[in-house]
Formats: sequence, C-alpha cells, structure tokens
Amino acid sequence: MRRLALAWSLISLAGIAGCKVSPPGKVENGVVTWTKHTLTVGNKSERNPLPATNENIVAGREAFSHYCVACHGMDGQNTGVPFADSLSPPIPSLSSPEIQSYTDGQLKWVIDNGLEPSGMPASKGILSDDEIWSIVLFIRHLPPAGSLGDPPMYDK
Amino acid sequence: MKPGLLLKTAFIGCLTLSSLALSGFAPPQDTPRRIDVSVKKFEYAPAEITLKKGEPVVLVLTTEDVSHGLKFKELGLDSKFDKGKPGELSFTPDKVGDFVGHCSVFCGSGHGKMTLTLHVTE
Repeated sequence: MRRLALAWSLISLAGIAGCKVSPPGKVENGVVTWTKHTLTVGNKSERNPLPATNENIVAGREAFSHYCVACHGMDGQNTGVPFADSLSPPIPSLSSPEIQSYTDGQLKWVIDNGLEPSGMPASKGILSDDEIWSIVLFIRHLPPAGSLGDPPMYDK
Repeated sequence: MKPGLLLKTAFIGCLTLSSLALSGFAPPQDTPRRIDVSVKKFEYAPAEITLKKGEPVVLVLTTEDVSHGLKFKELGLDSKFDKGKPGELSFTPDKVGDFVGHCSVFCGSGHGKMTLTLHVTE
C-alpha cells in the first residue's frame, strides 16, 4: 500500500512538473516560427482594403485599445503587461521581425482565427472586419515603445 | 385698362400676397422621417430599414444596456450613445444600395457581429 502511494505521488509530481511553464528553447522557437509563417497561417495573399491614412490608423489604435491591450499593451510592444514574458511562448512584441514579416493577410488571419500554440485568441465576430483591418494598419504603424503608457487595467 | 379688369388683377394680387404672408415666404420643406431603433448587446431592432433616396430621415438610437454606437463608413455617419442619452443620425440618403452599419463602441463578445442594414431604394 505504501509503495502504491509513493508511486502515485511520484507520478503526480512528474505531471505537475510537466505542466510547468518554461520559455521555449531556440530550436523549438525556430521550428514553430517557420511552421506558422510557411504552413499554418493562411491568407498570405489578401491585401488590406483600407488605405494607410491617418484616420484609418487612428481608428485601428482605438479598436486595439478596447481589446488587444490586455496582452499587447497600448503600444503593441507589451509595455505595462505584467505577464508578457511569463507565458509560454512569451507574448511577442508586435514590432518584432517575427510579427512584421507576416503579410497583411496573415495578420488578419491570425486576429480572426487565433494562433496555436500560443495564448492568441480568435477574434472573428468580437471585432468587425473593418476594425481588424484597421488594427493591421496600426500594427504596421506602431508608436514608439512606452509612448502610450500602460493599459488602463494595469495602471498603478 | 378697364375698371373690371383692374379690380380682378388687384384681387388676385391681394390673394397671392396673403398666401405668401401666411407661409412666411418659407420654401416648402420635408419633415424628416423619424425611426426609433432599440439597441442592446448585440443587436439593433429593427436590424434592417428600407429608405427612399432623397427622403430626409432621423434614426433615433436608444440603448437598453451599455454604451453603443452606429457607424456607416460609406455614408460618413457615426453616432455614439449612452444609456438614458439617445443618439441621433440625421441624413438624406443620396445613393441607392445596401449599407451595413456597425457598432462603433466596443461592447463585448458579439460586438463585431452587431450590424444594421439600410436598404436605400429609388
């Protein structure tokens, strides 16, 4: 009976350790990034129907500020997001080459459908198509990091 | 000029002047058609409205829950409104077609699907 209890405890501990969040290694990161860019994220050729006018970029910033800021920060660069580095994989800065190398159509696809493996949720229906395209414009024209302050929900 | 004809002319002139005075010289104006729209998460009621091109209209928007908005990008119209403070969209459609308006104030999980369609006919 003791042996059974010990074995059960060891299995449980192993399970808990297996669920522990840890940063992905370089190889894992490289493989996943390549897979997403070339295989799994679709809509590569769709163009943004909205022109990059100041009005549309401001509209994108507004739509972004209602919804996306909880994880990406007001500036899209994780400023003030307390858990940005603790997720696995960590939340990427939207100004990074990893994100900017997606096409506009792929960015729309990611916002519509979410992304696995990551915490990125699907937002189709939560945001309108017009809002999502304006957010894509905002991602292409991000302000300097930290220039918009922290998201209101994390404001000290 | 004969006195009879002079009298007739004077009489008609008086009538014309009186009618102009009564109308205040105002050009004829169409009273805008007012349409009440009830708004709540995540719908407009009615969700479809048929209008005539050239007919002035006022959409009176009343929210039953949180703040909402209604934006028709193609028509250059946008109104945001809060509970207890109805919003209005006044316009005269000048083109025929279907125009889809979206909620312009983020209001939750169904926000992106919240639409009102205007059918503008000749």
